[in-house]
Amino acid sequence: MKIHGVHWEDICVNTAIPELRVCPDPMQVFMFSAVTWNRHRIHYSKDAALCEGLPDVVVQRALIGDFLARMLTDWVGDSAELHRLAWKVIRSAVPGRDIVCRGRIQDKTVRGGKKHLVCELTVSNENGETIACGEAEVVFHADHALG
Amino acid sequence: MDRSIPQEALVRIGVKKVRQYDVTRQDIKRFAQAIGEANPVHFDEDYAAGTRYGTIVGPPLFCQMFTFEDVPPERLPRDGSPSEIDVPIPAQRTVGGASSYEIFQRVRAGDQITATSVLKDVFSKDGASGKLYFIIVETEFSNQRGEPVAKETATYIKRL
Repeated sequence: MKIHGVHWEDICVNTAIPELRVCPDPMQVFMFSAVTWNRHRIHYSKDAALCEGLPDVVVQRALIGDFLARMLTDWVGDSAELHRLAWKVIRSAVPGRDIVCRGRIQDKTVRGGKKHLVCELTVSNENGETIACGEAEVVFHADHALG
Repeated sequence: MDRSIPQEALVRIGVKKVRQYDVTRQDIKRFAQAIGEANPVHFDEDYAAGTRYGTIVGPPLFCQMFTFEDVPPERLPRDGSPSEIDVPIPAQRTVGGASSYEIFQRVRAGDQITATSVLKDVFSKDGASGKLYFIIVETEFSNQRGEPVAKETATYIKRL
């Protein structure tokens, strides 16, 4: 098996993870509601969203987590697994607008023979406003350096 | 004791709900499409065979597919919000929230996932524009061998 992905030795604390820019459209928001069986109207009815004081149908909190997970898995490739992901949504994201996920290495440690990274995460909109913030932990596979 | 939380809500704390799901390759493919994930490890068996998983696996947060109980529509609140957070509190609007996921292993096609959710807590806080209500739901996902797959602690925030 060829291992693609970041190498432990190349990682420095306080450096940035390659960002992920996405633009979820109404179809993606709809598909995500369908596949997760989330029938909350604020994700597909603009009228319902406006009634709740929202600007439009809103991107699901869970989907924002998937964008963060994708940024991390795109970066680590086969070298490591996402072990923990926590995120908090502080502003609504609406379809048709760019979302940028960013991350920074906060900690790099070896514990119990396993190589761990802790990453600080942010998600912002095209105006630079923070939509969500969070933290992730990735654990490297023992054979990650063989590729 | 949080006096702003009705007794009818408090008695639901600690009540467990258990449900089971059979995972197919199609489920994984559709979930990957929904989140915009193009990695062929989620839909191409030949490609997946050459990865460390040896087979098609779900993306890390695949268990999001099983977060919400599939109750019929007439048993949902009027706003269609999930039955998990349908607790009798004096607040209707959802204003954000948080998730904390632990991922113990990737889900494979053929897995039978058991989701066990429990309402952990309901409490209120005074916010800048009124009282905010917090609903904490913990869900554990395990497979057909009884192995832990993932665990989510979700925080839902509601206000009047």
